[in-house]
Amino acid sequence: MNPEPPPGGGPQPRVSGLHCPNCGGSITLRALGQASSVVCEGCGSILDAQDPKLQIIQTFHRIVSSDPPLIPLGTRGKIRGTDYEVIGFERRTITVDLVEYHWHEYILFNPYKGFRYLTEYQGHWNDISICKELPSMSSSFNISPRVNYLGESYQHFQSADANTDFVLGEFPWQVRVGERASVTDYVHPPRVLSGEKMAGEVTWSIGEYVPGRDVWKAFNLSGSPPPAIGVYENEPSPFSANLKAVWIGFAALAFGLLVMMIGFDLFAMNSSVFQGAYRFTSGYPRAEASFVTNTFELGGRPSNVEVTTSTDLQNNWIYLNYALINQDTGQAWDFGREVSFYSGYDSDGSWTEGSRNAAIVVPSVPPGQYYLRIEPEADTVHPPVTYTVEVRRDVPVSSFYGIGFLALLIPAILITWRSASFEKSRWSESDHPHSPIIAEGN
Amino acid sequence: MFRQIYMLYGLLILATVGYAQYNGWSLDTMNQLKNVPKSVRDNPGSYRSVYSGYHHYTGGK
Amino acid sequence: MTPPTATCPNCGAKIVFKWSSSVQTVCDYCKSVLVRTDIDLQVLGKAADLPPDISPIQINAEGVYRNKSFVVIGRILYEYDQGGWNEWHLMMNDGGSGWLSDAQEEYGVSFSAKPSAGQALPRESQLEVGRELTWDGTTYTLSVITQAYFRGVEGELPFKFWDKSDMVFADLRSSSRKFATLDYSDAEPALYLGEFVEFEDLKLKNLREFEGWS
Repeated sequence: MNPEPPPGGGPQPRVSGLHCPNCGGSITLRALGQASSVVCEGCGSILDAQDPKLQIIQTFHRIVSSDPPLIPLGTRGKIRGTDYEVIGFERRTITVDLVEYHWHEYILFNPYKGFRYLTEYQGHWNDISICKELPSMSSSFNISPRVNYLGESYQHFQSADANTDFVLGEFPWQVRVGERASVTDYVHPPRVLSGEKMAGEVTWSIGEYVPGRDVWKAFNLSGSPPPAIGVYENEPSPFSANLKAVWIGFAALAFGLLVMMIGFDLFAMNSSVFQGAYRFTSGYPRAEASFVTNTFELGGRPSNVEVTTSTDLQNNWIYLNYALINQDTGQAWDFGREVSFYSGYDSDGSWTEGSRNAAIVVPSVPPGQYYLRIEPEADTVHPPVTYTVEVRRDVPVSSFYGIGFLALLIPAILITWRSASFEKSRWSESDHPHSPIIAEGN
Repeated sequence: MFRQIYMLYGLLILATVGYAQYNGWSLDTMNQLKNVPKSVRDNPGSYRSVYSGYHHYTGGK
Repeated sequence: MTPPTATCPNCGAKIVFKWSSSVQTVCDYCKSVLVRTDIDLQVLGKAADLPPDISPIQINAEGVYRNKSFVVIGRILYEYDQGGWNEWHLMMNDGGSGWLSDAQEEYGVSFSAKPSAGQALPRESQLEVGRELTWDGTTYTLSVITQAYFRGVEGELPFKFWDKSDMVFADLRSSSRKFATLDYSDAEPALYLGEFVEFEDLKLKNLREFEGWS
């Protein structure tokens, strides 16, 4: 450490030693003279911070609030890489349908960068600074449906009269309890553009949503921030940001699925390895109906086998018990299929029910010599049924692609729905509760 | 985050579909048996005794 | 004009002009406000004590604007009903003169401008908030009319500026960072066109230090 005093013209002592002309209490000025007004912590009077005598601007007696600042005055924190000190706090209220809504504003100060603001409403925080550019709007201050600011479109959210009902510390303007401003918010999450009209002058500020835990971290506060209630006007939707990307991902994956389907269609063996034509007649007494086919070879890798039955049924049914049996290993797959076909006429015209054909896919059959055991069943008395059986090796199964497509689609639809309900909660608090939902990033 | 998880999930779906198709999976239900005797070729009716789960179809219209 | 170095007619201290076009300066020792004529320096009066400095900018601060470096060589301090603001006089490295305004640490750099030929500046009585005016292809909206008071001067200025009383300024904003100021402190209105800047973009050096802040 260097014990020598700083060279001439060095750091200035902090402005202190001031006293409230109303109650005599000591006044701390944190903004090094940049503030316009300061509130006496002792009696609540608002004093002119530019006046060496601290002339009283407004006498104010309510100095205890049920709503104290969550970040105490004098606390320093880092915002966007710059140190700021909390120098002022105010509570502002709007009344909508006889219900009061309060929010809190923290005035932050850095002697080089000037003033900045943090607002808090039900656990939702915004980092706010005064606009250096003027927003452009199609119509007047508080009825324009959208305004443009720095190339981005902001949607009107709410216009209301805000009343300042509690103040603490220093302010860069001559604050007064009871002062009213017409406030209009336009949103483009995570940003909010606010116009404040007071005494004919409109001040524009731009805010960005900050999670409470980030504020706590920036100001090194103990405990945890109050939980955020509901959806705030410019709160970024956790879903919307992903919406576009998820749908692009969906399109890419669906395309991949299509390519895969075409690939398998082109390169699957899909070869007919056995065909047989049979006739099933009723007879009494019943003879043994089951029979076996000639052996056929299933080649290649273990893959599926499709057994297709085609019949000439008319208003009738047949049930076919199949067993696909490996001649050498005795391994068998046992399955059955009912084939039925009915048709007729009624008042609505002609109708049909069922199908003359049926196909079954046998899974993962190793290569080898196979035969089919077929046992048809039907009503005791029935017209003769002619049917053919075809066995195909390694066929494409289109239902996999259908299931795959649905599996890809469901999360995309889910996130779209979640996003829409998030936007719905956001806009339900606005002046346009039924306005079309415009999801960000879409 | 959701995007990455979704892409991972989607690729898993694609891999599963490809794997299922390549290995010849099926959505149809069937029973597998082992050691069906060679005599079934000569006496198809005897298969019913091999396959204990065998039952006659009783449905129809 | 008086050479760049002269002596104060009041106290005899050495007066050095940093900028060859300076018209007015304040003696560092006796605080006399001096105006430069072709022959000599004339004393206009005594500069009032300025209130404790609150701006991080000070005389001799250096910075860069649009790739042109500058040195702060003078200052006018104004006051209005909500506080005060500084207009720092800049000597640009191309020999020109500019202004760095600091109003509660919102910074803007501006330069004296002339409206195009045939275009008159509005009279004070014609000022109206919301009125739109176009200079150099940029449309400005009149946002506020400020009644200001002369509070004090420091250092070198490009004109004679001393002991004014109240004066009117009209601030105009645009949809970009460009702003305009109409100055009604003289008989003829003066126009300044400028741009709001970020503190860090000015890359300022030789700033005032504040205890506990870096």
